[in-house]
Amino acid sequence: MNLFFLSMLMIASGGVLPLFLWRQVNLAKMIAVIGIGSGCLLGLFDSLFRLITGPPPGVSFSPPGVFPLSFHLDSLSAFFLVSIFTVSLLAAIYSYHYMNNTEKQIGAAVNFLFFSLLVTSMSLVVTAHNMITFMLAWEMMSLSSFFLVIYDYRNPENRKAGYLYFIFSHVGAMFILAAFAVLYGHTGNFDFAGSTIPDTMKILVFVLGFIGFGSKAGVFPFHVWLPHAHPAAPSHISAVMSGVMIKTGIYGILRLYGILDLQTPASGIIVVIFGMVSGIIGVVYALGQHDIKRLLAYHSVENIGIILIGIGIGMIGVSSGNPVMAVLGFSGGILHVFNHSIFKSLLFMGAGMVFHKTGTRSIDALGGLIKSLKITGITFLIGSMAISGLPPFNGFVSEFFIYMGGFKGIARDPLTFVFCLLAIISLAIIGGLALACFTKVVGVVFQGEPRTPNANRVDEKNGSTMIFSMVVLAAACVGIGIFPAPFLVMALKAVSAIGLDYGRIPIEPFAHMTADISLAAIIFLAIMAILAGIRIRLFRGKPIGHSGTWGCGFTRPTSRMQYTGSSYAASILDFFKPVAPMVVDHPPVAGLFPGPTRYASHVHDVIEMHLERIIVNPVLWLFDKLRWIQHGDIHLYIGYILLAIVILLFFV
Amino acid sequence: MIESILLWTLAIVSAPFFAAVILRVKAFFGGRKGSPLLIHYYTLAKLFKKGSVYSTSTTLIFKLGPLVSLGTAITALLFFPMAGRPPVVSFSGDAIFVFYLLGLGRFFTIAAAMDTASPFEGMGAAREAYFPIICEASMFMVSILFYRLTGELSLSAFFSGNQPAQFWSTAGSPMIFVIIALFIILLTENARVPVDDPATHLELTMIHEVMVLDHSGPDFGLIELGAFSKLFLYSAFIARLICPFDFVHPALDVALFAAAVLLVYIAVGLVESVMARYRMDRVPKFVLTSFALVFFAAVITLEFAK
Repeated sequence: MNLFFLSMLMIASGGVLPLFLWRQVNLAKMIAVIGIGSGCLLGLFDSLFRLITGPPPGVSFSPPGVFPLSFHLDSLSAFFLVSIFTVSLLAAIYSYHYMNNTEKQIGAAVNFLFFSLLVTSMSLVVTAHNMITFMLAWEMMSLSSFFLVIYDYRNPENRKAGYLYFIFSHVGAMFILAAFAVLYGHTGNFDFAGSTIPDTMKILVFVLGFIGFGSKAGVFPFHVWLPHAHPAAPSHISAVMSGVMIKTGIYGILRLYGILDLQTPASGIIVVIFGMVSGIIGVVYALGQHDIKRLLAYHSVENIGIILIGIGIGMIGVSSGNPVMAVLGFSGGILHVFNHSIFKSLLFMGAGMVFHKTGTRSIDALGGLIKSLKITGITFLIGSMAISGLPPFNGFVSEFFIYMGGFKGIARDPLTFVFCLLAIISLAIIGGLALACFTKVVGVVFQGEPRTPNANRVDEKNGSTMIFSMVVLAAACVGIGIFPAPFLVMALKAVSAIGLDYGRIPIEPFAHMTADISLAAIIFLAIMAILAGIRIRLFRGKPIGHSGTWGCGFTRPTSRMQYTGSSYAASILDFFKPVAPMVVDHPPVAGLFPGPTRYASHVHDVIEMHLERIIVNPVLWLFDKLRWIQHGDIHLYIGYILLAIVILLFFV
Repeated sequence: MIESILLWTLAIVSAPFFAAVILRVKAFFGGRKGSPLLIHYYTLAKLFKKGSVYSTSTTLIFKLGPLVSLGTAITALLFFPMAGRPPVVSFSGDAIFVFYLLGLGRFFTIAAAMDTASPFEGMGAAREAYFPIICEASMFMVSILFYRLTGELSLSAFFSGNQPAQFWSTAGSPMIFVIIALFIILLTENARVPVDDPATHLELTMIHEVMVLDHSGPDFGLIELGAFSKLFLYSAFIARLICPFDFVHPALDVALFAAAVLLVYIAVGLVESVMARYRMDRVPKFVLTSFALVFFAAVITLEFAK
C-alpha cells in the first residue's frame, strides 16, 4: 500500500504548501492543483491496478500505548477510491480557474488545504480496517468538509448551512459510534468483525449504522443538511461532496452489511423502502427548486435513493437465496455510485460555470445560455440525459442492472415479489420525474432567451481548466454508456469483496448484458447517423429562412413571457401536493385598473418544516431544564470530574 | 433476418397509411367524405420538398429534436416482433431499453420546444413531461405481469409466435384490462383525444401540436413520420394481444396482423369521434386509470397463474 500512502502525501502537500505562498495567488493555485492532481492521478492508477490484480496485504500501525491504526485496500475500497480520485482530480483542475477571486487569496489557500484534507480523509475512510481508524478518518472528513461549506462565511445563509451540516454529521457520527459500540460490546475488539453476534443485535447494529451512514449519504428523512450545504460550498467542492463524499455513507452501509453477514430479509426491506422514498421525494423536491445548485442537491437525494434500491434488491436477493438477483442488484447499485459521481460532478461544475459567469443561481433569472456558453451547455445537456437514465448514456447502464435485478425477484416468493414490484415501479416514476426536472433545467437555463441582463453578455473566456474537466466528464458519460463492459467488471469485483459467500463471481453471465447494451446503443447511433445523412440530403439546395418565434399572432413578445421553471413544474408538483406543500405569495388582481402584483412560490421540505417542532424544540426544552448544571462554580465542576472518575472506576 | 428487416421497413412505410384511417373514421362520423387514405404520403412528400424557416432563438438542439424523435421511434420498432415473426434485434431486457429510448425521444421533443422561447411551446412541453410519467409506470407494470407469465423480459418474448395466445390461456379475462390499459397509454403517449386533440385550433389547449409549432419543412416531416411510427408501435402491442393467433405462414400472419392494427386505428378514430378532450387537470386521473387496471390485472392473474 506504499503507493497509496505516497499519493496521500502528495495530496496533503498540495494542500499545505499554498498556505506559505498565498501572496502569489497564481503560483499557490498552481502548486495546489499540481500537488492534489498528481496525487489523485497516482492514487487512481494504483487503485485501478488493485482492482485488476487483487488486494495487497493490509497495513497496521500500532503506536505504543495507543490504539492500533489499520488499513486495508480490498476491491470494494479500490472501487470507491477510483471514483474519489477521478472526481477529485477533475475538481482540482476545475478549481484553478474557478478560484480566481483575487480579494480572497488567503481564502483560496485555506480552501485548498481543506480540499486536500477532504480527499485524503475520504480515501482513508474507505481503506480504514478497524473502528478507531474509521471513526478518525470519518471525523476528519466531516470537519474538513464543514470548513469548505463555510468558505464564504460572510454570508449568514452559508454559516447557517454550515452549522446545520455540522450538527447532522455529528449526530450521524454518534449513531455510527453507537453501532460500533454494540459491535465492540459483543466481540471485544476494534476489528471489523461481527458475523458471530446474535441476530437481533445484528439488526440493531445495522439500523443504527444505517441512520448514521444515511445522514451522511443524504437519505430521506436525514437529508435536510444537503440542500443547504451544497449551494453554500464552492462548485468544485459541491462536485466532490455530492459526487463522492456522500457515497462514503453508501460505502459504510455496504461495509457494515459485509461485516454483519446479515441473512434476514429485514435489512434489504429497510434499504429498499428508504431508497424508494428518497428517490421519489428527492426528485419531487428537486422539481420545486428555484436555485440550480439546490436542485442538484435534491437530485443527490434521489440518486442515493436509486443506489439504495439497487443495494436493497441485492440484499433481498441474498436473503431469498437468489444469487443472480443479488449480484445484479449490488453491482447495479455500486455501478450507479460511480456513474452518479461522474454526471453529478459534471452538472455541479456546469452550474458553477453558470454562477461564475452570470452571478446568479436562480433558474428563472437565466435563459439562452447555450448560445454564449456553448461547451458548458452541451456538456450539461449530456449530464442531464445521463442523470435521467436515458440511453446511450451511463446512467442508463446502472439503472438497467438494477431493473434486471428487480425483475429477477418478480418470479419469487410473495415478499420478494412485492418489494421488487414496488422497486421497479418507483424506479420508473423516478426516471420520468428526473426527465421532467432536467428538461426544466436545460430548457429554462440554457435554452430560450435570456430572462435578465445577468444572462446576457457572458462568454467562456478564462475558464479553460473548467471546460477541460467538464468535457472529460461528459466524454465519460457517453463512453460508459456505449461501452459499459469494463466498468461492470469493476463493479462485480467490488461486489465480490462485500462477502456474500459466493466466492468468485463469474463475469461471463453478466458480460453478455453489457454486450447487449453496447449493441443496442451502437444500432441506435447508426440509425441516427443514417437519418442525419438523409436530413442533410433533404436540405441540400433548399432555402433556409430565419425569423422570430411564432407567437400565435402576438407580435411583440418579450423574453419575460417565456415559460419559467416554476410554471413548468407547477402541474407535476400539484400532483404531489401532500408531500411537497407549495406556498404561493400572490395578491389577487382586482378592480378595473389593477395595480402591480407579484408572484412567488416556494416548495417546502416537509422534514425541514417539522424538524423544529418535533426535534429542535423538545431538545431545547430539555437542555433548558438542565441549565442548572452549568452554574460557573469551579468547586462543583471539580466535584463533577471526581464523580465521573469514581463512576468510571466502578465500570472499568 | 431479411424477413425481419423487410417487415420493419414495411411497418415504417405503412404507418402513415394507418394514421390516415383515423381521419377517415372521423370523417365518416362527421358525415363527410374525408381525405384520401394516402393523404399523409402527399403531405410528407410536400414537406420534404420545402425549405425551412428557423426561429432566431433556436440552437442546434432544435434541429436535433426531429431527428432524435424519429430515430428513437424507428429504433424501438426494431425490437418489436412484427406479426409475431422474429424481430430484427432482441435481447433479454430490451423492453427496458425500448421504454427508455422512447424517453430519450421525449427529452429531445421537449428540449426542442423549450428552444424556441415560446410560452405556448413551454406549456405544451410541461404537459408532455407530466403525463407520460404515469404511462411509464403502467408500461412497467405490464412488463412485470408479462415477466411473471413468461419469465422473460423482451418484446420478442412477450409478443412473438403464440405467446400472446398463451397469455390468454393462462391469464384469461384479466387480459382485457391489460388491453384497455395499453389503449389508454396509446392515447396518452401519442397525443390523441381525450388527452390531446390533434385537430384543435387553440394553442393553449394543445400538447403535442403546440410543441412543434416552429418546425417547418423537412424537419416537420421527420417529426410527423416519427409520430406515425410511435403510434404504430403502441398499436402493434395491442394488435398482437387482440389477435394472438399464429399461423406459422408468413403471409397469413402479416395479413392478420395488419387487420388487427387496422382495428386498433379504427378504435382510435371511434374514440376521437365520440369523445371530447378532457380538461387538462382531469387527464392525470384518466391516465392513472390505466395503472389501476394493469395493477388489478396483475393481482388477479397472480392468483390464477400459481
